[in-house]
Amino acid sequence: MVWLLAFLGLALAALGLVAVRPLLGEAHVALIFLLVVLGSSAAGGRVLGITVALAAFVVFDFFFLPPFNTLLVRNPFDWLVLVVFLITSIVAAQLLYKARSERAAVERAEALREADKLKDALLASLSHDLRTPLTTIKALAHELQPLGDERALIIEEQADRLNRLVTDLLDVGRLDGGALHLDIQLNAVDDLLGAVGQQVSGKPDQDRLKISLDDPASLSFGRFDFVHSLRILGNLVDNAFKYSPPDSPIILTGGVEGKDVVFRVVDAGNGVPADERDAIFTAFYRRPGTGAGAHSTGLGLSIARGLAKAQGGTLVYRERDGGGTMFELRLPAGTP
Amino acid sequence: MANQTALIIDDEPRIRRVVSNALADDFARVLEASSGAEGLRIASVERPALIVLDLGLPDATGASVCAGLRASSNALILVLSARNADREKATLLDAGADDYVTKPFSTLELKARVRALQRRAKLPDTVGATTIQNGDLKMDTEARTLESNGQPVHLTPTEWELVRVLMSNAGKTMTHRQLFTAVWAGRQFGDAQQYLRVHVANVRRKIEANPLDPRYIITEPGVGYRFARPSEG
Repeated sequence: MVWLLAFLGLALAALGLVAVRPLLGEAHVALIFLLVVLGSSAAGGRVLGITVALAAFVVFDFFFLPPFNTLLVRNPFDWLVLVVFLITSIVAAQLLYKARSERAAVERAEALREADKLKDALLASLSHDLRTPLTTIKALAHELQPLGDERALIIEEQADRLNRLVTDLLDVGRLDGGALHLDIQLNAVDDLLGAVGQQVSGKPDQDRLKISLDDPASLSFGRFDFVHSLRILGNLVDNAFKYSPPDSPIILTGGVEGKDVVFRVVDAGNGVPADERDAIFTAFYRRPGTGAGAHSTGLGLSIARGLAKAQGGTLVYRERDGGGTMFELRLPAGTP
Repeated sequence: MANQTALIIDDEPRIRRVVSNALADDFARVLEASSGAEGLRIASVERPALIVLDLGLPDATGASVCAGLRASSNALILVLSARNADREKATLLDAGADDYVTKPFSTLELKARVRALQRRAKLPDTVGATTIQNGDLKMDTEARTLESNGQPVHLTPTEWELVRVLMSNAGKTMTHRQLFTAVWAGRQFGDAQQYLRVHVANVRRKIEANPLDPRYIITEPGVGYRFARPSEG
């Protein structure tokens, strides 16, 4: 339909101009046709614009450059006019198209940002609405404890458990919904390892965790989100504390290998059988026979892998000589 | 201390009750406000020593209430948030809050935080002192030297300034922005904030016995750094 209108417009313009042909210079014709070309590309896009430009070029030559009503051109300078007309029309159609698609891209990005903001606001108010009653329950249970009823302690523990579940579920929501906020900075490997140690301090068996650098003499850096990476290593170390024998060591190392900073969490647990090594990263997956009921949401590893991917990193399970469990987190290395 | 006033700004009556009970031991009067506007009004009239501010208020954002309170009050401001978001924490500390507690918290934790805030507020001001001692570290701000166990520590001028800012604010969490503004006055925050982390890593290698288990410069993930007070381990 737009095409029909565009060519109708071109025909009408040509007819009108032919009627007053003796009075016209080439510039008059060129400008009127340019208007038609611009109108067509505005209404119908780049392909239509260029097609009309080519048609106008032929019509211009045929009707308005002497000798009239032939495609021949007598004056060599008229060729110049024709070619300049064609180039101008095509470039104009092209520019119009570009301006429009840029605006469309900006609008799309704007809409996406709006959607992200909405998701973020939704998750924030969900978080507020879920945690506010939990706070009251926990605090009231806490107030009751001095009265000697052990049920108060159980209520408080269960409120904590529910809170962990809420935290994990909201994180899954952020990862799935693309509402995760990333703050990628140049961070020292020292700093991240130290923060993991700090998180564990206060645990009765905190000495099980041994933290070291692959190369203690050099200071290395990576480009990653500090908080999310701390969460990943924190989840891995928590799992190691939970699923490896009491008193066995848990080893956390960090260093640079090629273009990556690499962190490894190694424990003396039973390891993961080959056929479960992908499944353990799926949400809500519970390994058969681990009995990991009370303190696990089944989301820790899936969140950890999601956070690694979001930062351009990887998290995998690796076979380890001599048994035990080894997780390897790779993130982009960086230099100051 | 027991003759002081505390103010709770929270739209949830039950949270107000819980917080109010927790503060009753340490404060003579505990006032309550259920909106940001009411809180600002009461704060300007009653001059409380402590303000506990919940972020989920229906009438205003936490940061704007916080900045409003700070504009007219020297009260200690403790923020309660349901979000475990460090970005938010940094924003509020930048807006003048003194500390931040994540819901759900226990009354014990809340009390401990309030007491820590009050202790810190009473500490002698180290600004203007010419020597600052902290554990085995001794800084002479006039000679611009730092000694660890009597041995001189060699710092670049930027590193020295960073340690000076951290040491003179010992015990207080300094956000990345606050540290950057204090140390690199006049430069743009965004592009150059990576320098801060790099310098901290370098300084730790010079002053910490084990940089992987820092005792002086403590990381507050996503927020900033805090120089431990001498009594902290």
